[in-house]
Amino acid sequence: MAWFLVLLGVLAGAFIGMNSPLVIPAIYAKYMSVAILAALDSVLGGLRTSMEDKFDNLVFITGFFSNALLAALLAYLGDHLGVELYMAAIVAFGVRIFQNLAIIRRYLLKK
Amino acid sequence: MKDEVNQLKSRRGYITMVLISVVLGLMIAVQFKVTQGSPTDFTRRTQDVVAELKQVKEERDNLKNELDELNFNFNKIVSGKNESQDALLSELSKARKASGLIAVKGPGVIVVLNDSSRSIKPGDDPNLYLIHDEDLLKVINELRAAGAEAISINGQRMLATSEIRCAGPTIQVNGNRIAPPFAISAIGDVGLLESSLRMKGGVLENLEFWGISTNLDKPKEVIIPAYLGTIKFKFAAPIEGE
Repeated sequence: MAWFLVLLGVLAGAFIGMNSPLVIPAIYAKYMSVAILAALDSVLGGLRTSMEDKFDNLVFITGFFSNALLAALLAYLGDHLGVELYMAAIVAFGVRIFQNLAIIRRYLLKK
Repeated sequence: MKDEVNQLKSRRGYITMVLISVVLGLMIAVQFKVTQGSPTDFTRRTQDVVAELKQVKEERDNLKNELDELNFNFNKIVSGKNESQDALLSELSKARKASGLIAVKGPGVIVVLNDSSRSIKPGDDPNLYLIHDEDLLKVINELRAAGAEAISINGQRMLATSEIRCAGPTIQVNGNRIAPPFAISAIGDVGLLESSLRMKGGVLENLEFWGISTNLDKPKEVIIPAYLGTIKFKFAAPIEGE
């Protein structure tokens, strides 16, 4: 049920984004990509907790924004320090996304 | 009762989850558009630059026309000469020849230099196989020492104030950037010019050592164009009574 809502939401968001004149400057594309990864991780994490019946609304919302912001901030900081710090965010969130996905998959299979 | 609270909680959870996923989808879509759209942005930028270039070219052509007109007027005034102006005019023509403001022709040499086509051995400095501003300066200096009366590099007339300066991969002469092959034309005593360049241990031999292709041509008539820019004296003022 929850994953269906998430899918619907993402599709609706994508539809709105595609049809709105909203654009971000190309320079910020890198930060946005890291932020997207963080957001994806948060959504999958929320999905997982909802399946575990441990879903907490506040944790979910704050996690979403703080993760996305921190990831973008890391990328920005890395740019200015000359270190590819956003790699850290990509690796961390990438690993977590796969972990979350694995747990979700198990829950779906067990059901 | 507890069930009801749980249900309410989970319903609220669903709402936020949907909202957040909408935001996520929005972010993805925007990012997608940016990465997809960058080529068109790029072409748009190119179009801007092209339009600007066209405008600048037009401006240049207009200025050139204006220059031609002014030159025409100048010549008209000059050609309406009388006896007393003759001496002045010959002096003026000499000064213009010396300052490089008119095109000149005469016997001379054309040296064409091009970067080395030799393959660079590992560990070698590739700079040694390229033509640098110093190389051109040496050739020009040699030609001047041999009495060249007028010199141009790739159509850029060498003036007393001309610079030959390294400008990244190109060389800047008279404020213009020129790239290899460099054709250096000089008017003067052909034999003298050639022997000064070709002397043992001289400039050309030194360049050829690094594989830089040099080609010395001795046409019957070398044409050296006039200096096309403007000459302004902002700081230097003549001293009265000299």
